[in-house]
Amino acid sequence: MNETAQRLLGSASRLSRDPETEIDWDAPVGDGYGMSPEWSTLYGTPYWDELTEAQQRELTRHESASVATTGIWFELILQQLVLRDVYDKPARSAEFQWALTEIADECRHSIMFARATERMVEPAYRPRWPARELGRMFKTVATGESAYAAILVAEEVLDVMQRDWMRDRRVEPLVRTVNHIHVVEESRHMVFAREETRERLAGAGRGRRWVSALVIAIAADMIVSSMVGPAVYANVGLDVDRAVREARRNEHHRSLLRTSCANLMDFLGSLGLLTPAASRVYRRTGLL
Amino acid sequence: MSYAISGECCSDASCVAVCPMNSIHPSPGEPGFGTGASLFIDPRTCIDCGACADICPVDAAQPADRSAVEDVQRNAAYFAEQEPLDAMDLDSWGEPSYELWGGGPRRVLVVGAGPAGMYATRELLLRTSAEVTLVDRLEHVGGLVRYGVAPDHPSTKQIIRTFERIVRHDRVRWLPGTDAGELPDEFDAVVHAVGARRSRRLGIVGEEAARTAEEFVAWYNGRPGAPVPADLAGPRAVVVGNGNVALDLARILLSDEQRLRSMQVPAAVRDVLAASGVKEVVLLGRRGPEEAAYTQSALQELLATVGDRVELRYHARPTSWTPEGLTLDDGTTIAAGNLFTAIGFEGQPIDGLPFDPDRGIVPNVRGAVVGRPGHYVAGWIKHGARGGIGVNKACAQETVMTLVSSSRALVSPGS
Ligand SMILES: Cc1cc2nc3c(=O)[nH]c(=O)nc-3n(C[C@H](O)[C@H](O)[C@H](O)COP(=O)(O)OP(=O)(O)OC[C@H]3O[C@@H](n4cnc5c(N)ncnc54)[C@H](O)[C@@H]3O)c2cc1C
Ligand code: SF4
Ligand code: SF4
Repeated sequence: MNETAQRLLGSASRLSRDPETEIDWDAPVGDGYGMSPEWSTLYGTPYWDELTEAQQRELTRHESASVATTGIWFELILQQLVLRDVYDKPARSAEFQWALTEIADECRHSIMFARATERMVEPAYRPRWPARELGRMFKTVATGESAYAAILVAEEVLDVMQRDWMRDRRVEPLVRTVNHIHVVEESRHMVFAREETRERLAGAGRGRRWVSALVIAIAADMIVSSMVGPAVYANVGLDVDRAVREARRNEHHRSLLRTSCANLMDFLGSLGLLTPAASRVYRRTGLL
Repeated sequence: MSYAISGECCSDASCVAVCPMNSIHPSPGEPGFGTGASLFIDPRTCIDCGACADICPVDAAQPADRSAVEDVQRNAAYFAEQEPLDAMDLDSWGEPSYELWGGGPRRVLVVGAGPAGMYATRELLLRTSAEVTLVDRLEHVGGLVRYGVAPDHPSTKQIIRTFERIVRHDRVRWLPGTDAGELPDEFDAVVHAVGARRSRRLGIVGEEAARTAEEFVAWYNGRPGAPVPADLAGPRAVVVGNGNVALDLARILLSDEQRLRSMQVPAAVRDVLAASGVKEVVLLGRRGPEEAAYTQSALQELLATVGDRVELRYHARPTSWTPEGLTLDDGTTIAAGNLFTAIGFEGQPIDGLPFDPDRGIVPNVRGAVVGRPGHYVAGWIKHGARGGIGVNKACAQETVMTLVSSSRALVSPGS
């Protein structure tokens, strides 16, 4: 573990990014898409086809802001999980120093996402109440592989979307830059989370694996289902019931999510975390 | 420092998608991708994040300080002539591409659980909501990865574990030990991924007494029913062929007892090889070294492993094989106890489908079998017996795209 942490510290010293100075926060923001339209929860539905291009663009900006807000929410949880985990580790170890580096990254990312969403859309988003309360509990009690695998799931789901958006010329330049900053630093965090998950699970018995697998799957469900909620559709002036209904049945979106999360599922599978119970949850969420 | 990719790379491009600095090339769509050779990391832009190593299914990507010097040099050399790509300029990245949901079929049969069949199954699970029935004649998944890839390349064989997870998906019905012909005709589409296992023949006098690569690799990998080779008589063996498989044969033939003990091979195979009198191997190429089909990394590995016990001979055409040895078209004879042929593989006709005997494939357009709606091909039976494991991933993806888009036009799922 220390070797991995040492490498990650070395990597961070080769390239860390500072949104404060890298982004011109006073530059005017254009009217580009907030995400690749194909990633919209309504893309491919009849409702999407009825919208004008301006409406579609506006919808993606709100969806993107809502996803970023989910990112902030999870980064808060993550910072506390990591902080609790290293609380009594020796400060001189690479693992400890890497953990604090990661917390510092996440802290900067949250500020960056907050500022970017503020510049993109008017209303502020928040994850649903039950998700917030479950998150409150999770960050207080989760430990070991459940904590790190949940971190991984959240990071990876966000990461796959952002990799697409950052390369997409249709997406607003501010969003593209913010996403690349996140992708670079997140790649290190995911390596760390995988390594920790592997290590904590080594030697775990079947019972513990079964419980952890389910906890992680439920956390994944919470995160994914909190990304875009009814408030988004309301703020864009859509028929909320219809939008929610069509989004829920959107097979295009599900297949996009499944494809993007294939590596993640391979990883969980390789650790025996795709138990039948957990798989059922992932299928409902649309990740498997 | 930086990371480096070794010759074990099967170029399935999983790493390209996770690199945050666009340091890994050739990426899908770039010239040179899909030729079967490895991918490379540009040390000038790599930031050592380790994401590529984490995702690589065969452990080919590693930190430079854990890689062989030649691998580090090979990676750097690949980029020597080009300017480094500026990852901060996001327009220097390729644009994302999206495959649109096409509805797709309900029940699909995939024949063959080699890489092509496994990647096709995975793609069907990801892109459609179809139920997939997967069959293989053999009892295990993996195809030539299990029964072809040399046993001294254990990391390449690791991909089998990924395949084993795919068959456990609950939309997959896995029927090992089943021939496709035994199944009722109740599928919306069939993907034939049966490979091309049969060795090509030289067509020379005395060839029946030679061993084909097909038989020999099946034997040393312990495929059930594979024939035991005749006595391995020393001191010299000739391997005809200039591809990576020919190099595999030379390496295995010349492995000493200690090396054999480090390999996952059946005990009987180890005993026969250890007792063999083969002390040197002549590798025969029809053309010159520039045209040889092997990859540079495979050649380096061979030379590093067996040193001067292998002789590379080019521009040589065999004319007959007798107990005295192999006679060439220039009249000379190489005295040898065994002859192995590794001059390529070819597919065999599939019942009810057209066949192109010259290329040894089922004629197809982007995977759709010509003139047989509902039938598709993937892997070696589709594009010929060339390219490594990873090439079959892109190939199977193309086939599934064709299958999905021809089985239904883009539908609006929310309707
Ligand atoms: C000796 C050798 C060594 C190699 N080493 C490497 C390497 O080190 N690295 C690398 O990247 N690539 C290597 N390759 C290439 C790699 O193995 C191929 O690219 C790949 O296996 C082709 O995949 P496929 O699925 O098309 O065929 P196969 O792997 O041949 O799979 C076909 C499957 O179909 C099954 N099947 C056939 N007919 C039927 C039927 N009628 N009913 C049911 N099942 C059927 C077979 O049992 C088999 O499991 C090697 C190839 C060979 C021959
Ligand atoms: S095997 Fe695949 S993931 Fe590994 S280095 Fe090669 S292309 Fe990348
Ligand atoms: S270590 Fe990171 S930056 Fe370097 S090639 Fe691998 S993924 Fe890319």
